[in-house]
Amino acid sequence: MLPHLDAAYNLARWLTRNDHDAEDVVQEAVLRACRFADGLRGDPRPWLLAIVRNACFTWLEANRPAELALGLDERIGEIPAPEAEGPEASATRNLERRVLNEAIAALPPQFREVLVLRELEDLSYRDIARIAGAPIGTVMSRLSRARRLLAESLRVIVTASEPGVSR
Amino acid sequence: MNREEARTLLPAYLDGELDPAKSVELEAHLAADPVSRAACGRLRSLSNAIRDKADYHAAPATLGERLLDALPAAAERAPRLPARRNWPLAAAALASTAALAVALTLATVHPRDDERLEQEALSSYVRATLSTRLADVASSDQHTVKPWLSAHLPYSPPVVDPSAQGFTLAGARLDYVGGRAVAALVYQRRQHRIDVFVWPEQEDSNLRASVRDGFNIERFARGGMRYWIVSDLNRNELDDLARLLGAQH
Repeated sequence: MLPHLDAAYNLARWLTRNDHDAEDVVQEAVLRACRFADGLRGDPRPWLLAIVRNACFTWLEANRPAELALGLDERIGEIPAPEAEGPEASATRNLERRVLNEAIAALPPQFREVLVLRELEDLSYRDIARIAGAPIGTVMSRLSRARRLLAESLRVIVTASEPGVSR
Repeated sequence: MNREEARTLLPAYLDGELDPAKSVELEAHLAADPVSRAACGRLRSLSNAIRDKADYHAAPATLGERLLDALPAAAERAPRLPARRNWPLAAAALASTAALAVALTLATVHPRDDERLEQEALSSYVRATLSTRLADVASSDQHTVKPWLSAHLPYSPPVVDPSAQGFTLAGARLDYVGGRAVAALVYQRRQHRIDVFVWPEQEDSNLRASVRDGFNIERFARGGMRYWIVSDLNRNELDDLARLLGAQH
């Protein structure tokens, strides 16, 4: 009944990482959207999500500046050496929900955001670029790095939980 | 294509963002190179894992309810949407979150329907002008018109007679607007004819005006009915009639 409200809340919940703040941010964003309805062009979903995203990042700047700073570090998620490949296909299949969700939540917000928009909202690169207010090239790069970071953290978890692995 | 190029194209390929020509090239490479194939498999399986297992947080019901409460006040402060420019699109965006649709007085009508309704109401008005069929029941007596309409429709539209204010009831006809049989009340003011299309509608909405093909059109909803008013009469006087019918700004 309210498909775009779910998308709005999902994004806000992933970025703020708790229910209470997600609700506050979405409420504020939706009221703002009402005031700026005149500026809408084209597909309503990315338009609304852009407003929600900006509200989330304003909130992050005020409440989680350290998290934001992490995402600005150029070195994060760079191409690793070929040896350090991601987990095997079977490992991800057996992954627990909790482990995966925690790993995504641990990503810096700029990477978490593009991953959520791509994998959970199925938005195009172009729409994600519009929502994140960044060029498509940046979106693609962040998405790559997000996936690499995630794969790496899951690999660490997976190999750490395997019996007989010496470190 | 070498392994390095393939590696850089894989994410776009899996996200369905790679152009067809490059996709074909990449697929040929993947078929021939097991190392790239394995990398592709890992990327795909990570994506699948996220889609299968990551939480999708649906909005709590209380949030929707709170928005429904807060939005009418916010809408009051919102700049009025201009009559024609971008009206359907802007309304569509907010109507997509149904709470906002209420605030923008679109109620249960999908905003694209407003565009369609406007068109159909106007067509009906003009067609009636061109033909001789202005009214099925031609009477200025509301006590004749009202029962006639109730007998021919699944609802009973209110019929007012504001002749004291200079609007004469000329009669009514049945018409087909927005996919339903509706009443079209016909009023006269000097040499202008005014058609008022009436059908049931739950939510109230404020008076909104627009212009189409030089005709003035006004719409509102009140007391369980929706009204679309079409005429070549000027906007000010049309406003008067709308208010007499029960509209509120």
